[in-house]
Amino acid sequence: MNIKEIQVPSFLRRAFNGRNAIISIPYLWLLFLFLFPFIIVLKISLAQPVIAMPPYTDLLKWGESWWPTIQASLDSYLFLFSDSLYIHAYLSSLKIAIISTILTLIIGYSIAYSVARAPTRWRGILLMLVILPFWTSFLIRVYAWIGILKTEGLLNLALTTIGIIDKPLIIMNTDLAVYIGIVYSYLPFMILPLYANLEKMDMSLLEAAADLGCRPLKTFWTVTIPLSLPGILAGCFLVFIPVMGEFVIPDLLGGSQTLMIGKVLWGEFFYNRDWPVASAVAIILLAILVVPIMFYQKSQEKAIS
Amino acid sequence: MTETTTTEPWLDSNQKPYIQIVNATKKFGNFTAIDNLSLDIYKNEFFSLLGPSGCGKTTLLRMLAGFERFTEGRVLVDGEDISEIPPHLRPINMMFQSYALFPHLTVEKNIAFGLQQDKLPDNIINQRVEEMLELVELTDFAKRKPRQLSGGQSQRVALARSLAKQPKLLLLDEPLGALDKRLREQTQFELMDIQEKLEVTFVIVTHDQEEAMTVSSRIGVMDSGKLIQVATPTQIYEAPINREVADFIGDVNIFKGIYKGQDEKGTQLLSEDSKSIIYATQKVDVPVGNRIWFALRPEKLEISKKLPEVDCNILKGKIEDIGYGGSFSTYHVKLENGRQLTAIRANRERTAEHHLTWGDEVYLHWVPHSAVVLLS
Repeated sequence: MNIKEIQVPSFLRRAFNGRNAIISIPYLWLLFLFLFPFIIVLKISLAQPVIAMPPYTDLLKWGESWWPTIQASLDSYLFLFSDSLYIHAYLSSLKIAIISTILTLIIGYSIAYSVARAPTRWRGILLMLVILPFWTSFLIRVYAWIGILKTEGLLNLALTTIGIIDKPLIIMNTDLAVYIGIVYSYLPFMILPLYANLEKMDMSLLEAAADLGCRPLKTFWTVTIPLSLPGILAGCFLVFIPVMGEFVIPDLLGGSQTLMIGKVLWGEFFYNRDWPVASAVAIILLAILVVPIMFYQKSQEKAIS
Repeated sequence: MTETTTTEPWLDSNQKPYIQIVNATKKFGNFTAIDNLSLDIYKNEFFSLLGPSGCGKTTLLRMLAGFERFTEGRVLVDGEDISEIPPHLRPINMMFQSYALFPHLTVEKNIAFGLQQDKLPDNIINQRVEEMLELVELTDFAKRKPRQLSGGQSQRVALARSLAKQPKLLLLDEPLGALDKRLREQTQFELMDIQEKLEVTFVIVTHDQEEAMTVSSRIGVMDSGKLIQVATPTQIYEAPINREVADFIGDVNIFKGIYKGQDEKGTQLLSEDSKSIIYATQKVDVPVGNRIWFALRPEKLEISKKLPEVDCNILKGKIEDIGYGGSFSTYHVKLENGRQLTAIRANRERTAEHHLTWGDEVYLHWVPHSAVVLLS
């Protein structure tokens, strides 16, 4: 048998060797599932709304000439800055994201700390319990909070039965309900990086601090907290960034006065059918988030080196 | 006011011990780590706790530092009972085996850490940190972070940090364990110099018997949570109290046999390894016929091809192995009954005219004074 060797051009061979193939997977992923959609959204944001299918004008208009004319307008962006609703929504989202990140950090740190200091045989189980809620749909868990927080819900029922309050608390459809929902939903994202950090902390450092005359509480502030800073940053960004654009929780638990940019975005798309403005809202949100994302990148690079 | 300074305060009954460990017991569940241990350590001593891993030496050190509570017993420093005082209030500092340098602080901040806890004014802290950096010769590295230091430099920072507060007692947990041999030997002498200069009492934990011998004023040999022997390095080496200590410290040849009484040459032992009686000068007080042991260090065994012109302690054998160690050579000699003994001979002549090689028939001999008699 005479097998003829197939001549493969060298540049193709180089492109398809195993190493490059594996490295290319994340790049292709980002290209097709992040960059392309982003370009589409950017394109829509530069269009004009029309009553058509799809509801926006084309970016490129093919006329008689060989070359298409570009139809781009910044009207949607200008509109965002002319109506104070949008700026308020951005600022309100920022406020809610910051406050809930801080609340999540405080609660998450104490949970992560206790799990990391628990006896080794308990740690796995405790960590499982932290992740356990993920086994249920996110939506169902948020709906469950409605059942707890509403005026005739479980919480008010329990409190009135014990006799702590006589009139039911109004929590449902307020900002408080939104905070409860966000902190509850995002807690695992805070706990996991913090736990990973605290668990590998060298206990002899705490002993060394005590040995040098440092009281336990002060040791926590001068040794434990600084050393867990990478975990704190990772947890805060993992919570802050998605909360900034959160839509489901304010929609289900918040009231009419709860203003969040995610909800506005939803409204633009599905009630106003103004896709260009909705896309512009998304692009601006992304621009705002690029700043903390870059900080997060930086901190991760530092943690690795 | 006359204060007599003596190099061996433990021999002087007028001297008051500085650290007194009284009937200390530590139990972890059913496991007894420290078993009713009492020990007196004197001011400015360089005391070594030596023993195999798991013997409880580190536990004892951690009890002194305050990281482990006494199950029973107590410890007094300078007459004050500190058993119930938490670690951050004890006048004791510790140098950790892992060094435990704070990775987020620079070298000078690490050294200043303990001083800052005492709320000292800044200028005093700075001055003290500078002194410490000078002491360990790391002045140029003050602004570095621990991860930018070599192992030897980290070790010196850890030492400087633990000495900065001028503790009454410094505990060192395997302080040189992570260094390579050459650096370790050099650092041993530095450690001794620093201890002498600062006049701090040192208690060091080590499993390295050579290190313990080099640095210590006294050594406490531990096993199973108990002190087996507490003595100077020379006494531990030349007069171990039992086979365990003899075997743990350095190499040793042990002769097992029956006590046959005393004569003008010394204690008589009938050993399975020789066809005749062998002798040691040291006298014993046990009935004739008891089982006793002779311990003989390899360097005290003379090895020669000619029959030595002495009237006792001659064993005949054949060289099995030679280990060339540069300054000395180690010979493994197999006796006629198959027992192997170790002899060490200094290589005093450069051109190696030893006349001794593998398979040579040789005579081993020692003077009765060289052997130690052990009763257990």
